[in-house]
Amino acid sequence: MTKSSILSGTDLSKKYGDLEVVKGVSLAIDAGEFACLVGKSGCGKTTLLSLLSGLEKPTKGQVILNGKEINGASEDELALFRRENVGFIFQSFNLIPTLSAWENVALPLFPIKMTNEERRKRATELLGKMELGHRLEHLPSALSGGEKQRVAIARALINNPKIIFADEPTGNLDSSTGEAIMDILGKLHRDEGVAILMVTHEVELAKAANRVIRMKDGEVVS
Amino acid sequence: MNVRYIMKELYYQRRRTLTSILGLSIGIALLIVLNSLSLAYRQAAHVPLKEIGADITVQRSGDVPKDLAGAVFPCSAVTIRKEEVEKIQKLPGVRGIGTGLLLWVFDPNRAWIVLGIEKENSIGPSLLRSSVTEGRFLEDGKPEALVEQAYARQFGIRLNDTISVANKRFPVVGFVDASRAAKIAVANVYLTLKEAEDMAASSKGLQSVSPYAPGDVNLLFIKADQEKITGLASEMKGILGNKATVATPESFLKLLGSLFAISDKFTLAASLIAIIVAVLIAFKTMAGNIAERAREIGVLKAVGWTNRNVVSQLMSESVIQCFMAGILGLLIALGASFGLSFMKVNIPIPWEMSPTPHFLPGGGDQVFKTLQLPVHVPWNLAFFAILLSIIIGGMTGGLLGRHISKIKPSEVLRHD
Repeated sequence: MTKSSILSGTDLSKKYGDLEVVKGVSLAIDAGEFACLVGKSGCGKTTLLSLLSGLEKPTKGQVILNGKEINGASEDELALFRRENVGFIFQSFNLIPTLSAWENVALPLFPIKMTNEERRKRATELLGKMELGHRLEHLPSALSGGEKQRVAIARALINNPKIIFADEPTGNLDSSTGEAIMDILGKLHRDEGVAILMVTHEVELAKAANRVIRMKDGEVVS
Repeated sequence: MNVRYIMKELYYQRRRTLTSILGLSIGIALLIVLNSLSLAYRQAAHVPLKEIGADITVQRSGDVPKDLAGAVFPCSAVTIRKEEVEKIQKLPGVRGIGTGLLLWVFDPNRAWIVLGIEKENSIGPSLLRSSVTEGRFLEDGKPEALVEQAYARQFGIRLNDTISVANKRFPVVGFVDASRAAKIAVANVYLTLKEAEDMAASSKGLQSVSPYAPGDVNLLFIKADQEKITGLASEMKGILGNKATVATPESFLKLLGSLFAISDKFTLAASLIAIIVAVLIAFKTMAGNIAERAREIGVLKAVGWTNRNVVSQLMSESVIQCFMAGILGLLIALGASFGLSFMKVNIPIPWEMSPTPHFLPGGGDQVFKTLQLPVHVPWNLAFFAILLSIIIGGMTGGLLGRHISKIKPSEVLRHD
């Protein structure tokens, strides 16, 4: 891990029974870097993302995120660490269907002691940046796919993360909406200096990234 | 715990919330109604004795002279000695005693049921003072009579007439409406206790089968500490022997014959079933609800909610739902209790407690005390039901929350 690395994984392996999905992978992401993890479906990209983000524990290896080794942390310690350092964007948006757009954005802040006005103010600001200022009170069911993903991006940013993990963020979107989302991610990286590690199987999308990491059969090949 | 999130979840998942609330509320309502009914039967069983100001009545059965002439004791109420009354009076838990002397008087032209009553006593047949419909109540030291209103009407007896009972003349000073009073120890003619004592003491036929001295009685009405009634009943039987008949609210409850009256165990068992059904309904609907939300829980954990945050959120949702179910259950139970309170209940009065010679009109008829079932929901039962709902909610939400919070976000959030 270099001094400027925000994230590093060393000799990471993950086994499910006899099946080794990630095989001794080592990689590092620098602060403010936009890296793209590409590979065919089933090559272990999402599992590696889960290991690096602390959603899952490796069978072997070490993960250091923002200077903290997260392997030995308990479930709750990991959750708190994610709350303070990490943002997630998922392919299926994963918005809470009963909460409005601004409430979905504020979801990571719900367990934190602060007034509802404060939460709303921060969420509104981010939704404004996503050009969704007019959709604050809408439920996810009333939003388009692109709007849902922009709400999800705003949610990933609400805690000022050091790094955002994006798992196939355009997978459920048409190509033009997908491009718009990629523009937002690129802008985030450029303007806010947030590091992004994105998983995709579409090589075209990886062009927006500073670095492309290729995976095959659980190993980083380039 | 975020109240906004809880309320939105309950509001937008209305169908799920309503199913859960309705299911549990039925169980809670059942619990309240069953217990209210049981309580109502218990209260109803107190009424016959309460109306005569007593908690216990005591009699002793014996023989009737072969020759039914003059004053005799009914076979269900023979002499209780003065000393025995004193012993009973001294029993711990006895708060007061009323006495009466019930006689069958066979005159050549008419048979009378005569009851000698005390002038002033808040326990026993002296309470008839409030049932005088015409004239006045008896006064001490005077040979005078009160006549039961229906009986007077049947035989054309009027106020200030003089009636002859056991060869003694009594002016009629008033009428009483016994139908408004207790159905226990009902008579045709009411005399002062002193007059009835003299009548009994001077009856050779009566003395031949049941020796009697003034001061003895044959009916006891006892006011007692509620929690000691059962114990006192058996002590009284010990004093008076195995021919004693001791009536308590418990014995009336048995006469009611209802499932609720037969046993507290039935109510307890039915209540337990209602609670178990309520818990199962709550558990099943909540389990289904939480299982549907596995992905949502995964999102919460991914964005930084700790297990404790998740459990407290789900537990609060469950507690609020169950609290609402408790309130609804209480409202249903209040409505059902109101409906049930119009139900009439007939409490049979054993012949022994108001004996009428079988050969007289109505002598063999079963006497009933008819009253509206006093069904109501006591506040402590209502409070218990609401508290129980909250506990069910807390336990269900807590258990299921703990279980679901263990899921790994990576497992449920993996893209399709």
